[in-house]
Amino acid sequence: MDWKRTREPDDAWHMTDDLHVEHGKGDPFAAAIRATRMSMIITDPRRPDNPIVFANEAFLRLTGYERHEVLGKNCRFLQGPKTDKSAVEHIRTAIADNADVSVDILNYRKDGSTFWNALYISPVSNHKGEVQFFFASQLDVSDRKLSEHRMTADKDRFERAVKERTAELEAALEAQTTLLHEVDHRVKNNLQMISSLIIMQRRTIKDEATRHSLTTMLERIEALSTVHRRLYQSKDVSRFDVSDFAKDLVTDLLTASGRSGIEPKLELDPIVISAEKATPVALMVNELVTNALKHAFKEGPDGTTAGRIGIKMSQPDGHFKIEVSDDGVGMAEANGDASFGMRLIKSLARQLHADIEWHDAGPGTKVVISMPNEQQQKRTLS
Amino acid sequence: MTEPLKVLIVEDEALLAMELESLVEEAGHSVVGWATSSAEARSMVESTDADIAFVDIHLTDGPTGVDVAHYIGEKKRSMVVFMTANPKRIPDHFAGAIGVIAKPYTMNGLTSALRYLQEGMRRPPPVSTRPAGFTLSPAFEAVWAPAA
Ligand SMILES: Nc1ncnc2c1ncn2[C@@H]1O[C@H](COP(=O)(O)OP(=O)(O)OP(=O)(O)O)[C@@H](O)[C@H]1O
Ligand SMILES: [Mg+2]
Repeated sequence: MDWKRTREPDDAWHMTDDLHVEHGKGDPFAAAIRATRMSMIITDPRRPDNPIVFANEAFLRLTGYERHEVLGKNCRFLQGPKTDKSAVEHIRTAIADNADVSVDILNYRKDGSTFWNALYISPVSNHKGEVQFFFASQLDVSDRKLSEHRMTADKDRFERAVKERTAELEAALEAQTTLLHEVDHRVKNNLQMISSLIIMQRRTIKDEATRHSLTTMLERIEALSTVHRRLYQSKDVSRFDVSDFAKDLVTDLLTASGRSGIEPKLELDPIVISAEKATPVALMVNELVTNALKHAFKEGPDGTTAGRIGIKMSQPDGHFKIEVSDDGVGMAEANGDASFGMRLIKSLARQLHADIEWHDAGPGTKVVISMPNEQQQKRTLS
Repeated sequence: MTEPLKVLIVEDEALLAMELESLVEEAGHSVVGWATSSAEARSMVESTDADIAFVDIHLTDGPTGVDVAHYIGEKKRSMVVFMTANPKRIPDHFAGAIGVIAKPYTMNGLTSALRYLQEGMRRPPPVSTRPAGFTLSPAFEAVWAPAA
């Protein structure tokens, strides 16, 4: 072999095809390019329409054409109906600018089948800087493209499924919220009607004892009303702010009693309990505060009563603690167990798993309730 | 003694309207009309000279209470206080209303609200404490209960 022949004439590539194998055999580079598994062609931009002047075996294998079918032709015969126009445009501009270009383009074989071609084209210039040829290599990347497509398709399908499911869930939540608001609305209206009925009935009653007992009933129902007015006010419908409630309840009971001489003392830490506990806690606090109002304070000689009612709500070591205290007469003379109020308090305490104790506060009474208050799970409805 | 209020009740529930009327009268005010629908409310706004209208959001012709409030606001004859079990339906601007009494209110809550409103309308700003369950609109909050 003639290893010294490293410099070729300008149209050496062209000649290798023209002269068939003999000439190329003498040239190791040409031989390598002929034999490589990488598909390669050379085009001549100085001839009209930049035709192919060399194509290696790999190119012919890849495209399915015979050599005589491709030589002298512009490469565009590789394009077809599904070839991306913008990819073609990209190549065209690069060639017009004598620039490198690398694109993935859908090409067609002779038999009409398609393949994804990772095409790389670069200009080859002579020593004067004039472009003599374009050198192009083609790599069949159909497999990669296919898995890329699959991945995109999978991703799209997955995203669509997630979107659909999210929409479904949002609709379900919306429906649930609407339903909750509707039910809540009805409960509130019905509570309002129940208290209206009691007030109306009470107006017609002359007997003091009966009136008194209707008043107590109204107080209990109004305690429930106060709970429901406060329920579902926060974003999280499963939680109930018991300190806000206690403030409403106590102010309401005190002003309703008309006894301005009784001073409320509120020490309310912001404490949240689960919504199921709201009603029993509210009823219990209502009983204790009304008891203090009713029984603890003796009327003074001037017809007024003076004293102090304290409510403290705190949460030391995860236990919810309520203290209702007064500085009144104390409970030494009370025979509580038979009365309804006491029984109600004790039953509610059992329901809440609460410990309840009455202390002689000297002066007055102090009732201490303590119950477990586990961390609430968040559940949000708007 | 400040002048009592003339009250228009816009409420579709007869029982609640009846009881509200009694409570208003017991507190020394008078009820000049009771409407159950938005149309009735509109014509009563024309025919009565109420100082204040208690307006439920849900009336016999649907959730039209806010429209009624708008209408009363345009006439500039009386003030509006919403009375509803669904305060979330009230728009942020309150359609010009003073505020809302949330249902279910307590008897004392309503009586206190009446006292508070009487003070606010006759000799603003009100001096008594705002009762539980009564919320002022942002516009009235700024005038009647400015943050100290
Ligand atoms: N804070 C208190 N100070 C003084 N005595 C009290 C206090 N709390 C309760 N008592 C006494 O305990 C008794 C029982 O209370 P309880 O709540 O069971 O009954 P009541 O309040 O009399 O009636 P009701 O059944 O309507 O509640 C009361 O009658 C009263 O004598
Ligand atoms: Mg009692």
